[in-house]
Amino acid sequence: MRTNVCQIALGGLCWMGDKKGNAVGFTITEKILARAAGLASVKAGDEIMAKPDYVLAYDFPGYTDVIFKQLKDEFGIDKIPEPDRFGIFIDHMVPAASPAEEQLHMGTREWTKVNDVALYERKGIGHQVASEIGFATPGAFVVHFDGHVSQLGTFGTLAMGLRRNVLEAFAMERVSIRVPQTTRVDLVGTLAPGVMARDVFHHIVRVLGPASCRFQVLEIGGPAVADMSNDGLQTITGLAMFTGAVTAIVNPDAKRLEYALPRARKKLDPVCSDDDAHYAARHEIDLSTLEPVIVIPPSPANTRDLKDYLGLEVQTGYLGSCASGRIEDLRAAAHVLKGRKVAPGFALYVVPTSQEIMAAAAREGLIETLVEAGAFVSSPSCDYCYGRIATMASGQRAVSTGTLNVRGRMGSPDSEIYLCNASVIAATAIEGRIADPRPYLRS
Amino acid sequence: MALKNLRGRVAFIFEELDFDVDQIVGVKNMKTTDIHELTKAAMQAYDAGFASQVKPGDLLVGNHNFGYGHPHYPPMKAMRQLGIAGVIAESFSPGYWRGEISMGFPQVSCSGILGFVKRWDEVEVDWAAGLVRNLTQNTEMAFETLPRGDLEMLEAGGLENYLKKRLLTEGKKETTP
Repeated sequence: MRTNVCQIALGGLCWMGDKKGNAVGFTITEKILARAAGLASVKAGDEIMAKPDYVLAYDFPGYTDVIFKQLKDEFGIDKIPEPDRFGIFIDHMVPAASPAEEQLHMGTREWTKVNDVALYERKGIGHQVASEIGFATPGAFVVHFDGHVSQLGTFGTLAMGLRRNVLEAFAMERVSIRVPQTTRVDLVGTLAPGVMARDVFHHIVRVLGPASCRFQVLEIGGPAVADMSNDGLQTITGLAMFTGAVTAIVNPDAKRLEYALPRARKKLDPVCSDDDAHYAARHEIDLSTLEPVIVIPPSPANTRDLKDYLGLEVQTGYLGSCASGRIEDLRAAAHVLKGRKVAPGFALYVVPTSQEIMAAAAREGLIETLVEAGAFVSSPSCDYCYGRIATMASGQRAVSTGTLNVRGRMGSPDSEIYLCNASVIAATAIEGRIADPRPYLRS
Repeated sequence: MALKNLRGRVAFIFEELDFDVDQIVGVKNMKTTDIHELTKAAMQAYDAGFASQVKPGDLLVGNHNFGYGHPHYPPMKAMRQLGIAGVIAESFSPGYWRGEISMGFPQVSCSGILGFVKRWDEVEVDWAAGLVRNLTQNTEMAFETLPRGDLEMLEAGGLENYLKKRLLTEGKKETTP
């Protein structure tokens, strides 16, 4: 008899998806898309029309302003049906720095008001806020234009970034989709001190390759997942696009459901992959063997050993973004920085991912520790990650937990971004040069 | 309506793996909205004489995972303005693929294309046969079938027209699962 990953983790709490007579089981992705398409079952490669449970977007010029206009002018949709399925976030250009930016926000406020759509403004980075307010419903199918929404996959939610094609989900009830294959990565072992989820993700890119999961879903599983935090899994799933994946997903275990179910906006049965589900590839990664890594410019494909870059002079550190900047990251940085000082002239920007996280950090005293060390702590905003503020000049170099290190991402095309984990940012801030955090963790 | 076959010369071959298309116009020009300024900036780092050599209908060829990184729309807007009719690559990064298909800009995933063509070879993409033909070398090879929605989007000339067609045929009769 076939067993089910969820059944093992949850003692039968999760829906089994029993399909008598089928030789091969289903992936969590196939189960979610089958339900969203109103079909008994679907298999990778099937062409289906699926109804997203939620349609999310943040306001951004060229995206939401255009979509809102197109809906009315080109599609004659004055008011979208089922507004409860939609969620709009104002997290970029927060706070506005020009009349044009504020006008964009005004247009978004107006559209959401007219359409009875929920608007989340200044609550934090939308992908994180989405999980806090229940869009990370286990078993749900979610679309956005931005691919980092994949982080909702931590909670067994299938969340895809469609770029411009998200218009389809605004204008139509269903989106056309080819059911993706899945590559499964099993995590085993335990991370050593100073090594974080961020290192796990970049290690995955390094060993599997930046095209390894092209057009597939990256499914994260294995015994190590149970001990990992939601924060860490959100980091890994949120960066899935850099393996070529269309999204990432975790079979929701007790820890994920404990967080997500009470917040869920919709009652759905959580689903998990069957043990005999078909995977395009399956890999195992032993976390115990990992060391801190660094991703050198100008591509997220460039994972290297941190030890080979120690001592490189750096002017700026950014700890934040939808990928990192959660309580686990803030704790890691505060641990390194407690009782120490940021190097003179070094700009350390710490931006908690959401207001909820910022309040938690304040309660724990982390904000105090970071500020006393010399960090500039900002309220949640996406704006540091793409250089709208704290903009870098030519010749400058940053260490960053942002999403990306391509040329010009944080300012001048002639500045450089090195991606690394939060404790590396903190150690580097102390020394003004790329530094290994582990000596600070021991002392 | 069947998609019209692509026929043109291989105007450039991007041999770099995981090619970041933003490099075509350069990151510093990414916010340029003037299409003529964009076309002036296009390909300067690769072949300064590109614009004067390219003809309408010409195609680009790329390596594996073409469009990786954080692709923006201006580079391929500039390429279309110069007459480029499509891209054939060993494989594509999904974000780039989605974005350009939504612009009605044909993308063809064809494993082996790099060894199959030389720059300025005349090639044809035959949608119905699922073949890329090298008319200069008189050879042909199969490409990967496009997902149905992508094919329909290309046939319609892009996302907006595709959705309008669907709205006309499906109307508001869709049922909720």
